[in-house]
Amino acid sequence: MRRRLTPLARDLGRILMALSGLMFASILVSLVWREFYAVPALLVSGLLPLLTGLGLTRRYDAPEGIDKLHGMMIAASGWFLVAVFGTFPFLLVAWTVALDPFPGALAAPAAVDTPTLAAFRDPLNGFFESMSGITGTGLTMTDDEGALPHTVQWWRTLIEYVGGVGVIVLTTAILARPGSGSLTLYESEARSEKIHPSIVSTVRTIWWIFILFTFLSISLLWLAGMPAWDAINHGMTGLSTGGFSVTDASIGEYGDPVIEFAMIPVMILGSIAFPVHYLILRGNLKNLYTDLQTRWIWPYYGLGSVALVGLLVLDGTFQPTEMAVAGVALAGTDAATFQAVRYGLFQFVSAATCTGFGTTGIGDWSVASQLTMSFAMVVGAAAGSTVGGIKLIRLATLTKGTVFRIQSVFYPDSAVRFLRLNGRRLSDDELSHELEEAAIIAFLWFVFLSVGLAVILLSVGPSFTLENAVFEIASAQGNVGLSSGITGPDMPTAVKVTFLFNMWIGRLEIIPVLVLLRGVFDGLNVYR
Amino acid sequence: MNPKQLPVVGAVIQYGADDRVLDWILVLGPVVITSFVVFGRNAVTTGIVALYLLAFVAYLGYAEFVR
Repeated sequence: MRRRLTPLARDLGRILMALSGLMFASILVSLVWREFYAVPALLVSGLLPLLTGLGLTRRYDAPEGIDKLHGMMIAASGWFLVAVFGTFPFLLVAWTVALDPFPGALAAPAAVDTPTLAAFRDPLNGFFESMSGITGTGLTMTDDEGALPHTVQWWRTLIEYVGGVGVIVLTTAILARPGSGSLTLYESEARSEKIHPSIVSTVRTIWWIFILFTFLSISLLWLAGMPAWDAINHGMTGLSTGGFSVTDASIGEYGDPVIEFAMIPVMILGSIAFPVHYLILRGNLKNLYTDLQTRWIWPYYGLGSVALVGLLVLDGTFQPTEMAVAGVALAGTDAATFQAVRYGLFQFVSAATCTGFGTTGIGDWSVASQLTMSFAMVVGAAAGSTVGGIKLIRLATLTKGTVFRIQSVFYPDSAVRFLRLNGRRLSDDELSHELEEAAIIAFLWFVFLSVGLAVILLSVGPSFTLENAVFEIASAQGNVGLSSGITGPDMPTAVKVTFLFNMWIGRLEIIPVLVLLRGVFDGLNVYR
Repeated sequence: MNPKQLPVVGAVIQYGADDRVLDWILVLGPVVITSFVVFGRNAVTTGIVALYLLAFVAYLGYAEFVR
């Protein structure tokens, strides 16, 4: 056990040190908002991973190289540890407010002692929020995000922002790892695309793109009418396709179609692969249609939105009412159709990009509407971006590969055929490899969805339907965050633990977590 | 002036798209955001933000056309 886990220690220490830096930096937000009572909580929260990280990096030497096994184990255990240590700001701020142990300027005002914040006194709720944030899921244990202290709102935003790009990407960008292990670690975090030959340069360029788009997104949302603090938080969580909000009703809080339509390009930006962004920024706009995944995104979002809008119209989900949009008065069926377009478009894009922002209640939508969104949450969008789900490249591989195999039956054995995938001409071996990889991920995805679904159905009351349960588990494992109403602080513990596991495996595309568990069980001699 | 020569910021933008205009758009981002955080929503800050976004979109189109 020790022999197997020792090579992980130093890299895990570095990841924890990077996390502590985020916590210490967040103290600035507490100071700006004059939430001084949160400063000791953040200091202690930051010291815990810092001291643990320092201990691990000083105690253990770096392994000379990292093989695939250890790369996956570092990724899986690193994400788990970040979620564990990321719990402390929630836990300690909530208990600081409850106990109010500090005098004078550090005393917590009574107004912040809300039931919403009190939910984080339960460590499991804090851990859930932390895992949901770092994996970019966005399911929450809060009843009213708007009632949270700004420090806690910021911590939720920051972990989603960093988690969207990746914990290892952050660590590699800041603390460039000596030796040849960076690529193995990078690939273990469900990434494979390289922008530059050097992996350190690649992750730094990813951050350059991400920061540039963050400024643009925040500016766009503010221009659309969002308050400054909301625009900063929603710009960050929208671009990282995380979906945590600082308002009770997410983007629906504003009731403003202009803000909703402004959010759509932000979410789409987050769902396009970073290497494609890089090429576009280099003046090569044609990658919007030459890259396979990006080419698939437009009809996928378009047709999916049309399907969802059509279902909402046919179901009569929105009733004719009088309303005004940008000074234009709408009434009767025009208003109902506009509502269907407005909510259908936003919610489909929110689901398919795995963002999870909401503009309206979904739990009472028709079965067909909820399952359409569940399909989008399972598929996700482009690999190499910030989204979850199986990813479009795997859907494309499975679709094209299946058609290719079936067509092969109609050709003579001597026929020389090949499959083109994203500009690559695949040999038979390469095709088999790609198909196998996509099929394994898809298979495992449905296995764990089924397990999670079974737990939900056995644990929640009869007030929730099967489509609600399918929707919720697809949202958790796809790292989306939309909810049919099941998720909340009163959710049964078994479902919380199941969702924690589904969020974790969903972010890492399952296999690294299974490898870690296999390694741990093996080390503990469970199989003997 | 080359923004890569700026302290701290230079370390970030040296890994960018190797494009001075985009580097400046990145560097000006915090300035634009600070302007509306500090001064609130008024005609000047609205104009600055609109100009900032317009500059980015227009430059992407220009870069595609030129290259």
